[in-house]
Amino acid sequence: MIPVRQYWHLLADYLRPHRLRMVLLAVLLFSGIAFQLINPQIVRSFIDQAIEGADRSDLIRLALTFAVLAVGHQVLSVVATYVAENIGWSATNELRADLAEHCLRLDMGFHKTRTPGEMIERIDGDVTALSNFFSQFVIHVVGNLVLLVGILVLLFRENWLVGLGITIFAGTALLAMVGTQNVALPWWKRVRERSAEFYGFLGEQLGGTEDIRSSGATGFFLHRFTRHLRVWLPDAVRGFMGWAVLWSTNILVFAIGTALVYWLGSRLFGEGTLTIGSVYLVFTYTELLRQPLDRIRHQMEDLQKAGAGISRVEELLATSSRLELQGGSSLRPGPLAVEFDAVTFAYQDGHEDIGEVVLDDVSFTVGPGRVVGVLGRTGSGKTTLARLLTRLYDPIGGRVMLDGVSIRATATGDLRRGVGMVTQDVQLFRASVRDNLTFFDPGAADETIMEVLFDLGLADWVYSLSDGLDTQLESGSGGLSAGEAQLLAFTRIFLKDPGLVILDEASSRLDPATEQLIERAVDKLLAERTGIIIAHRLATVTRADEILILDRGRVVEFGERKTLAADPDSRFSAFLRAGLEEMLA
Amino acid sequence: MTARARSSVPTLKLMMGLVRFAPWWYTGNAILWTLVWVMPVIPGLISKEFFDGLTGEESVRFGVNALIAFLAAYALGRVATVALGMYSDVNFRFRIGSLLRRNMIGRILALPGARAVPDSPGEAISRFRDDVEHVEEAVDLTVDMLGTTAFSTVAVIVLASINARITLFVFAPLFLVILIAERAGTRIREYRRAAREATGQVTGAIGEMFGSVQSIKVAGAEHHIIGNLRMLNDRRRTVMVRDRVLNSGLESVFWNTINIGTAVILVLAAGAMHGAGAEFTVGDFALFVYFLTFATDAVHFVGIFIARYRQAGVSYERMTELLQGAPPETLVVPRDLELRGEPSPVPAPPERERLNLLEARGLSYRYSDSGGGIEGVDLHLPRGSFTVVTGRIGSGKTTLLRVLLGLLDRNGGEVLWNGRVVDDAAAFFVPPRTAYTPQVPRLFSMPLRDNLLMGLDRSDGELATAIRSAVLEPDLAVMPDGLDTKVGPLGMRLSGGQVQRAAAARMFVRQPELYVFDDLSSALDVETEKLLWERLFADSGLTTSLVVSHRRPALRRADQIIVMNEGRVEAVGSLGELLVTNEELQRLWSEEPVGKPEPA
Repeated sequence: MIPVRQYWHLLADYLRPHRLRMVLLAVLLFSGIAFQLINPQIVRSFIDQAIEGADRSDLIRLALTFAVLAVGHQVLSVVATYVAENIGWSATNELRADLAEHCLRLDMGFHKTRTPGEMIERIDGDVTALSNFFSQFVIHVVGNLVLLVGILVLLFRENWLVGLGITIFAGTALLAMVGTQNVALPWWKRVRERSAEFYGFLGEQLGGTEDIRSSGATGFFLHRFTRHLRVWLPDAVRGFMGWAVLWSTNILVFAIGTALVYWLGSRLFGEGTLTIGSVYLVFTYTELLRQPLDRIRHQMEDLQKAGAGISRVEELLATSSRLELQGGSSLRPGPLAVEFDAVTFAYQDGHEDIGEVVLDDVSFTVGPGRVVGVLGRTGSGKTTLARLLTRLYDPIGGRVMLDGVSIRATATGDLRRGVGMVTQDVQLFRASVRDNLTFFDPGAADETIMEVLFDLGLADWVYSLSDGLDTQLESGSGGLSAGEAQLLAFTRIFLKDPGLVILDEASSRLDPATEQLIERAVDKLLAERTGIIIAHRLATVTRADEILILDRGRVVEFGERKTLAADPDSRFSAFLRAGLEEMLA
Repeated sequence: MTARARSSVPTLKLMMGLVRFAPWWYTGNAILWTLVWVMPVIPGLISKEFFDGLTGEESVRFGVNALIAFLAAYALGRVATVALGMYSDVNFRFRIGSLLRRNMIGRILALPGARAVPDSPGEAISRFRDDVEHVEEAVDLTVDMLGTTAFSTVAVIVLASINARITLFVFAPLFLVILIAERAGTRIREYRRAAREATGQVTGAIGEMFGSVQSIKVAGAEHHIIGNLRMLNDRRRTVMVRDRVLNSGLESVFWNTINIGTAVILVLAAGAMHGAGAEFTVGDFALFVYFLTFATDAVHFVGIFIARYRQAGVSYERMTELLQGAPPETLVVPRDLELRGEPSPVPAPPERERLNLLEARGLSYRYSDSGGGIEGVDLHLPRGSFTVVTGRIGSGKTTLLRVLLGLLDRNGGEVLWNGRVVDDAAAFFVPPRTAYTPQVPRLFSMPLRDNLLMGLDRSDGELATAIRSAVLEPDLAVMPDGLDTKVGPLGMRLSGGQVQRAAAARMFVRQPELYVFDDLSSALDVETEKLLWERLFADSGLTTSLVVSHRRPALRRADQIIVMNEGRVEAVGSLGELLVTNEELQRLWSEEPVGKPEPA
């Protein structure tokens, strides 16, 4: 029921480095519990001695011992919290990082079906639940179980009848409390569902005010609002009554416990088996049972929930990339030759089903240092071409080759260094300009970065920032214009210095000044490199040595630009006559 | 101190307003919860009697069996009180929370539709949920404050009658604890905030990471990105541990008051417990320790109440922000929530009134953040005319439609319906006067039929006609549940084009005097678009339309074209005239893809 074994299996590797601290934690916890158990014994001695008229100084010494142990217990519990939280967070942070890295390395097919929000929930939400599980389980469940057992043992030591009586009482109490909790659980679940429905409905309303107002549907939606409240109220009442039932059980159970102590206590005191101090001791220990019983009951629900999180995390770790393992060939620096050899590709959505064919038997060759302009309507397969070259996906047929070697045989690190890509929408991180440019590589030197920025005409921009390279950018567009973001993406490529550059040109209009900067940057980028440009503008096409036209996943025209332009029957010359924008719409 | 004093007055006023809204539930709550708090005095007295009985004190009146019977009676009585208390509590809380939420949504739906929520809807949701809960809780805790005060008073009277000196020494430190907790409260909030921020940074980094998987993969930067995550993780650990340790420390302070208090009792009682007729009996001791536990709980509650009361002040301000200018009292204006009995029917739409001429003069609007907007726009839309607004992106086309319909509050100008000035445009421009399809329409998680009708009373035939006009019938034919198809959150189960055509059908079924639509074709393929325009021209021949578009079929059909440029009207005229005289229109016309041959 409580997934301890599963949990241990998952976290054992992460907890092992903290072995010493775990031992320390155990020592702290057990000493704390011991202090808690000893104190009522001191009170017992105090009462018995005080009644007998013992020396005042002896009594005061007992009182002080009591105070010291009590404070000591509290100090120990604070230190234990510190140690437990540290272990919990260190271990689960490692798990978070590993899990994130594992997922990051999975193929794009995995990522296509998952939103970043979902990934946050899997990597942080589920793991945080595990971290809570750790501290709760260790401190609350284990700690309270030990306390519970300790109390019962000490009661047996007083008198077997008392021990037996209270043990039976504690067992029945726990059963009754967990039992009533199980009655209330579905009620609480219902309340949570109702509230989720309500906020889902409300969120839609808040996002659709324009539609609601202009359709004259305000009354309709307020009516629905009321309907939500009307079904919510009875469930909310039942949910609260669940708490009332639980609380009532607690009151009744402990009234029975106290009655038991009165009955046993008066009997045994009358027989002379227990002193008055001992009766008080039994009374105190029975009261002390409240805490462990209540905590254990409370944790039952949470602990069961942790099971779902654990299996989700395990499932994620068991997912493997659909891309075959990397090879070991290296790529030489400098411009790379590109070859598509009968490449066919389709995106796979589920596990097995293959979708529509996006690239169909595509073959072409580009010599090192040459520039190809790729043209085609939306959906013709241009972007897929780029994704195969960067090995975000593997083709289902044919081979993609760089410098005569299939990229499946190339070491991934080499491939990443050798191929650079700039896409239309540039992703920026909520981090410093430097980290954004180097992708958090701590090894990049500032001089190199500044040099590149200067070359691209971005130096003035960086100087205008409050903290230069340390300025924090916001996520998304980072408060930058589309043109500036493009230039930052170019900077990333220059810092990497790849032999092949894939450029998905921005299709939107930029202001003339930025446009000029970008033109210059593209010139520099393509010098001494092989270039594949997904072209949206005539200016870019004139820069290409070769032209490749795609239509519905097939190559319909490929050749030297000048030749194609001169041939009045070619598609390319038709493009030139009609203007790119119109033909590609 | 002064700042707190200033902000606490409106908080108190708000809370009073809520109490006045459900006075009987509140009174019930106050009585029941005071009882729940005070009742534990009884088992305390029973235990004193029990121990005094064992030691043979003279004052003892009851035997053990009688005490057990009392205990049972007490337990049953308290169970009943708790059950009633919970019942009245949930009813009270639900009512005041619902009132706040209902008043907020009522205000939001009365604001200009395009600017009804100041931040994102997600942000607003947290005000509906968390801030309302904070206020609920603060109001709710006032009855517990009443209860703890009553309990403390009774406890102090009982204990002082036994031994005034010990009572004074034991209870004095409790006030010290209140003070410490109060001081630590600020620190807790600071740590909490730091913990939340650090968590936000971690989740933000994970979100960004998986929002840009492709660029990270292509850059081969997985390792460095994870390095950054580890750094953020570690920072979060530090602040988290700090937060938890402070909390645990504070908790210990509370528990220690019981223990220190017990130790104080022990010291003071050291010489007073000896012999028959002792000054301080074992029963007294048991009673003191027992009450001490509850008194500490009470003190704990005072601390919680102070924190919640302040939190409620912040929440109150946050909710007021959502009202965008309405007085804060709006939040607590009493109204019938209709939780019981027959709910009132959906109000009927306004009477239809034939549109002969819609005019606008000098319409202006300025976005406060970007400074963009529209300036001095005039419109003249006679009955039966088809007007197209065109212009490049950011020229103010959408703003113009929104300002005309009151979805944005105009800064200047006037609108005249049949020559009559329209004051409250937002309330006036609704079906059957006008209907509107925004550029990115929203559907709601209801069956498709409800999405189209939204409470409107129309026959199936009328609905079918509207669906046909919007070219939605081929899509509908393949939906297994037809009109009962659940649309899913935000219409996500439909394609962009389907959502747009559903919104068009929603507009058509309202049969308004004036059709207004914003770039109806932006998510449609060429074939569907062509069909839609054809049917529109065929069906809406007699009604008046105002359309944003740059498509050739629309421009060609237009009775007048309004060319917008940088928020102003650059030219008005027919296509023929403007193609000769207006450079902007020439440019827009030439950039439009020719596509397939069009009908003549």
